[in-house]
Formats: sequence, C-alpha cells, structure tokens
Amino acid sequence: MSQEKLNFIVVDDSKLDCFIAEKIIQNSGRAEKINTFQQATDALEHVKNLPLPHGKTIIFVDIQMPVMNGFEFVESFETLPDETREAISIYMLSSSINENDIARVRGYASVKQFLNKPLTNNSIAMVLEQF
Amino acid sequence: MLEQKDKIKVLYIDDEPNNLISFKASFRFDYTVYVANNTDEAVVQLRQHPDISVILSDQKMPDKTGVEFFEEIRKEFPNPVRILITGYADIESVINAINRGHVYRYIKKPWLEEDIKSSIEQAYKFYITTAMLAVKNDELQKAYNELDKFAYSATHDMRGPILSVLGIIDLAKNTDDINETRAMLDMMENAMQKLDNYIQNLHDYYSIRRGEVAIAEINFEDTVKDLSDIYEVSSKMSNVRFVKTVDQQETFRSDDVSLKIILNNLLSNAFKYQRKGNTDRLVELKVEVSKGMAVITVSDNGIGIPENSINQIFNMFYRATSEEVGSGFGLYNVKDALGKLGGKIDVSSKQNEGTTFVVTIPSK
Repeated sequence: MSQEKLNFIVVDDSKLDCFIAEKIIQNSGRAEKINTFQQATDALEHVKNLPLPHGKTIIFVDIQMPVMNGFEFVESFETLPDETREAISIYMLSSSINENDIARVRGYASVKQFLNKPLTNNSIAMVLEQF
Repeated sequence: MLEQKDKIKVLYIDDEPNNLISFKASFRFDYTVYVANNTDEAVVQLRQHPDISVILSDQKMPDKTGVEFFEEIRKEFPNPVRILITGYADIESVINAINRGHVYRYIKKPWLEEDIKSSIEQAYKFYITTAMLAVKNDELQKAYNELDKFAYSATHDMRGPILSVLGIIDLAKNTDDINETRAMLDMMENAMQKLDNYIQNLHDYYSIRRGEVAIAEINFEDTVKDLSDIYEVSSKMSNVRFVKTVDQQETFRSDDVSLKIILNNLLSNAFKYQRKGNTDRLVELKVEVSKGMAVITVSDNGIGIPENSINQIFNMFYRATSEEVGSGFGLYNVKDALGKLGGKIDVSSKQNEGTTFVVTIPSK
C-alpha cells in the first residue's frame, strides 16, 4: 500500500477539537501539512488561494459553528472552480446525533462521509485507507 | 359602575332606527354599545373597534339577512361572538345557521331585557375562554419551538465538551510526555468549565421562565459590590480596567435574581469579547436610578458586533462570533429576564471599537 503524504485542513470553532484533530492527524504519520481554522470563512479563503495544482487534500469540517456553519462552508466550496476542488475530499464531523443533520450530509456531492466526534486513531485510519 | 374600559363592548345591527335607539337606551349603562344601521356600517364599526366581543344582529334587513352577514364577516372577524335577533318564524334558517357555526345563540323578537343580558354575559364568557385558549396555544407553540431548538443544541453544546474530553483522554493515553499531559489536563479543565457554564445558563433560563418574581428593595451599591468581587478576578487576569459608578438616591424595587442574571451576562460578555491587541482594555458599568427608573449601562471597547448580526444577538443559541466560546444562551436570558421586569435593552456597537448595552428597568 502506498503511503502517499496528504495535506489536511481542519475547520472547527472549538480550539480544543482543532488540537485533537491535529494530534490525531500527526499520529497517523500521513501528514505533509496541517492547517487548522476556527472560522469557516478563513478556511474558505485559504482553500480559494491554494496554489494550483495542489496535492491531495483532506478537509475535516465541523457542522455547528457560528458565523458560517459546516453546511454553508460546503455549499460555498461547491461553487469554487473545478481545478480548486480537484483532489480535495471533505469529511464532516459533528457531535450532533440529529438525524436531519446526518441525512443532510449525504445530500452534498463533495462530502465523502459523516464522522462522529471526536476524531480518533481508529476513525482516521478508516478514512486514510481510501487514500 | 364599571369603568368604561372594563365594560363588555357590544355591536348591535338593525335597519330600524327606533330599535337601535331603544337598544342603546336599555344597555348603555351595562355595556359599551356600538350600533349600525346596516351591515356596511357594522363592518366599519368592527374595523374601528377590534375589541368588540359580542355582535347582535337583526335577521331581517333589506340588504341581507343577519345570517348572511355573520357568514360573511366570520373570516375577517373570527373572534366576536355572534347572536341573532329574529322576529320571524324563519326558524329553519336559524337552525341551519346555528348548526353551521355562524351563530352562537338566537333571541326572539320582541326581546326581553333579561334575555339580551344573559345572552351577552354568556357570549362574553365564551369569547374570553376562546381568546384565552388562543393565547395559551400561542404560548404552547412557542414552548414547543424552544424545546426543539433546545434538544438540537443540547446534543451539540452538552455533548461537545464531553466528546472533546474523550478525545483528549484518547490522546493522553498514548503520550509519555508529562508536559504534554499537563497541557491536556488544562484543556480538559477548559472543556468542563464550558459545559458547567452551559448548564448554569440553562438553570438561569428555567429560573426566569418558571420562577416567580420576588420583588424587594434593591440597593445597587450592594449588587455592584457582589458583582465586582466576581469580576475583579477576570479584570486582573485578562488585564481589563473595570470602572463602576452607582448613582442611586431613591429606593428601587425589583427582582434581585433577574437583575443579577442580566448584569452577569452583560458583564461576562464585556470581559469575554475583548480585542486581543488592545492595550487599554476597558469595561464600564454605570447604574443611575432616578424617577422610578434604573438605567444600567455596560460598555466595553472590545471586538464589537458585526452589523449584520446585531438584530439576531438576542435569539436563542445565536452566536455572532467564533472568537470566544459562547453558549448562545446569555443574551436570550437577558431579554427574557427583562421581559419579566418590564424593562428594555438597547445595543449600539461598532466592530473593533466596542459595544454598549443600555438597560432600562422601571421600579415595581
């Protein structure tokens, strides 16, 4: 199995959850670069301005955030040019056990999967198997 | 005699002017009586006096029958109770009208004063019951909506910190570095404080909602001193100047618990939403009591509130920023508590310059 290095972007208004995700990603040994954002609008700017072509990138985004929530982030992301969206995979994370939220995640073409919080060694291993 | 405003408001419609005159003469002491010569006039009266609770109409009129009139106005004026007065033996149409719900009751012509009175009294009782039911229904609907929001938020705001701590524990198990472990303990502490804060806010919410208002004399010097003891610590820790002035020359009566909820939330926000680079951080609390009104001003020179969110800050679970951890509960509780005290709140804010809340509360 190839152990290609990946870029990671973590979007979560909780500083703590950003820290957890960062650690878990580091522990996986697959990270080329990790960027964390507490505000989705900042993350979106970052994605817009990524130099092209960029390497494979995984975004973990929380659903419930003030100002711009996870769904709004994904909707804005889906309006970006193809070249930018290429090679980016989005995973949505939430502490929500709300069925509507989980169902809504499935409606977005660019979202790979819904993951329960917190991100753990196990759950990230499952994600990384696909890369 | 009842005051004008407490009297039952009654509208009587009849095409015979004599009937109108005698009706008014008989009942004007007991009720506030409006009269109309035809149905068009009646509609004008109903629009002008939306608090008319009982309508009495003659059945036989030249332009339309009383039943037809009731049927027509039911949509625009669903609340007033409708009574038909009929001198004719057209009992079939009356029965029909009652069965279809257009008419609450009918009175035979020539009417007896007692009949009219007892019908109006009963109709009014029916009107009040129905109106109260509508109010209760509104309240219930509001409570359901809040419950829905609450259930949704509970999974996020209560589970969130718990899941964070579980995540950290998972990480801590795999680290041997004692410094890193200590840092993780601090983070867990933070998460638990956040959860505790949320639960306290929740408690406030229910004490405002369900608790009785206990009116007592308020000495703002004491209230502000209690608060100072709490906020001096935040003031020192986050290097914020805390300026307090109290000007109270007269007695003021209000509910201490609600007042504290209001002040606590406004102050904790003022301390929380400070600008990072600012070297002259300031929180100002000013209380002025005069002419039976307390005006409380809480201002800061912090991050301010974005213009497009200022209308939403009092909504439940609304958060205007991700800069700091908020529950989205605080200002909602403030507004709720003010509603109980009959007070109001104004906010003015500029991003990166600061926010000022002005609370006005009447003495009870």
